[in-house]
Amino acid sequence: MDLQHPAQNTATPMAEPLPSHVEASLWRADQLRSPPTTIHPSGWAALDAELPGGGWPGMVITELLLSQPGILEWRLLAPALRPIVAAGGEIAVVAPERQPAMAGLVQDGIDPDLFWRYAVKEPARRLWVTEQMLKGNGCDVLIAWLPQVRQEQLRRLQTSAQGFEGLCFLIRPAHTMKDSSPAPLRVSAALATDWDLRVRVAKRRGPVHDQDLLLPAFSGGVERVLTPALRYPSQLDDRPILPIEVPNALGSTPAPARSRNPASH
Amino acid sequence: MLWAALQLPRDLATPPPTDVQRHLATWALQFTPRVAHLEEAVVMEVDASTRLFGGRRALRDRVAAESQELGSIGLAWATNSLAALCLVRAGIENGFKRPLPELLDALALDVLTVTHPHAATLGHIGCKVLGDIRKLPRGGITHRFGKPLLLALDQAYGVVSLGHEWLLPAEDFHARLELMARVELAPALLAGARLLLLQLCGWLAARHSGVTAITFGWAHDTMRAKHVEATGSLTVRTAIPTRDIEHLARLLAEHLTHVELEAPAGEVMLKATEVVKMEGRSASFLPDVVNRKESRALVRERIAARIGPENVQRPVLLEDHRTEWTQHWLPTDKQPPRRKAAPPPFPAPTSILEEPQPLMVRNHRPYFQGPLKLLLGPHLAEGGWWHRVGNGAEQHHKHVRRDYYLAHSAHGGFLWVFQEGKEKWFLHGSFS
Repeated sequence: MDLQHPAQNTATPMAEPLPSHVEASLWRADQLRSPPTTIHPSGWAALDAELPGGGWPGMVITELLLSQPGILEWRLLAPALRPIVAAGGEIAVVAPERQPAMAGLVQDGIDPDLFWRYAVKEPARRLWVTEQMLKGNGCDVLIAWLPQVRQEQLRRLQTSAQGFEGLCFLIRPAHTMKDSSPAPLRVSAALATDWDLRVRVAKRRGPVHDQDLLLPAFSGGVERVLTPALRYPSQLDDRPILPIEVPNALGSTPAPARSRNPASH
Repeated sequence: MLWAALQLPRDLATPPPTDVQRHLATWALQFTPRVAHLEEAVVMEVDASTRLFGGRRALRDRVAAESQELGSIGLAWATNSLAALCLVRAGIENGFKRPLPELLDALALDVLTVTHPHAATLGHIGCKVLGDIRKLPRGGITHRFGKPLLLALDQAYGVVSLGHEWLLPAEDFHARLELMARVELAPALLAGARLLLLQLCGWLAARHSGVTAITFGWAHDTMRAKHVEATGSLTVRTAIPTRDIEHLARLLAEHLTHVELEAPAGEVMLKATEVVKMEGRSASFLPDVVNRKESRALVRERIAARIGPENVQRPVLLEDHRTEWTQHWLPTDKQPPRRKAAPPPFPAPTSILEEPQPLMVRNHRPYFQGPLKLLLGPHLAEGGWWHRVGNGAEQHHKHVRRDYYLAHSAHGGFLWVFQEGKEKWFLHGSFS
């Protein structure tokens, strides 16, 4: 009897990759570890395609590296948070850079009843609260602003996060990108033209990602009222605004109103 | 029948039951209602409770660990209480390894208290172990040593059953403990507090209750300054009734870090201030949503104990047009209002500044990290004449009249700015 060559047992390359949700639940025998169990889609197909597993991973810390804190966090995260909150998930923010305003966040699908703010200032306290939340599984999404944190402290957080079932985002300044970090996923984000965000996966389990993604991101219910001019403010002409008199209301003396757009009168 | 005997050091000065024995019995009542004092030990019958506590092995491990913390020096298991007591005095833990008569026969006479008055006589006739007495004719034993010896032997070997007076959990819980040494720092009181908490949790389990408030106190000794009170105390509250010792111990530890003792303390006490009925819940194999909610409340409580409940906040939407009054933050210990305000029907910023920040104006244009382009607006927000703050001469009202715009800055993102008066621009929030 002819012996067959052992090469026949090697896997034949698949014609097309499996859908991401199948891929996420599939463990291949040649993999060392199974992919993280909880994956939440980011809201943009282009970003999901670059994130390992097809979305934001649970049970690990994810670093968001921003050039300036407080200018785009909710725009980047709200699409991922919306389905989690709709399913009753709680959101906890630790020491947010700017006070979150619920009037706008409600329109992004965030429920004030499922929202907790931990108002702490000192770096040590921020770390302690973050760690307690991770260890105690205290919420479904944890967003912590940690401008000053050392590498060994991050490693501690990463260890604590292994028992944490939800998503954990640590907001850090962009200049820390050059430092090494134990976080398995690091994403840098910055403002691009108009309503776009420039997002790059700086570190991930897998090949290096060296291309910027441009993702249209809105917040505060703005997308419902966007006109083409509003959508692309960079194409508005740069004329200076004429001084505007506040229109009169309730009994103040009328003043000659100068309109921004005299043609409409 | 599964009997456990928990041995305590024999205290010759005070007749049983001693304080330590009572504490141990209170704690033991969480496992079974059948708990009794037997000479210097506490005995309990736990056969019906093994399933509830995860099987014999798990129950034994828990009883052994916790009773040791409470001062027990030995533990033995047997089919009846007197045999368990004999075994624990002889230092044998497991009375099920071999048939009970075989184990008991080999024990020295002094494990059975009734033999003590006759120790000399029994020694003279060559009785060294319990088995030797059993070999003697029963009629002769009764005749020579009286009935109690034979009865006790029969009870130990399980031929005759032994009646007990079952202990009942007290109506309220108040325990005190003298510390081994004087303590100067509040967090060091925790070691003593843990023993008291252990009793408290046993007492709560026996009464099917949980606490929402406990009062922990300490007494300073006589060597203290004149202005210092003799005792001090603090009250710890929890949002939901609990009898979880780990949670209570952590909460107490967080509170004790804020306490500064004015003099060394030599004694601690614990009182259950508010006790409410708590139903036991069946264990489940599946992850339990209700349970998860509760454990989250515990995490929040623990964090609040360190950073202060006013810093753990949830937002409440208000129906107000003024941006800074559209919400307020409610501390975790306050209940949110039942009536919910509706969110505004128009776009609103997702973050706001604590105070409006004045913007530079150049060439009639507001600047914030570059010139601003106004995209949406003006959105007039006027109101607040009814809103008065301050007292007396400092009283003023929070009336505002502002035109809000959605503005775009190339480097600052999308901003919520307003104009108040002529060419006075402020940054108030952002669509971030």
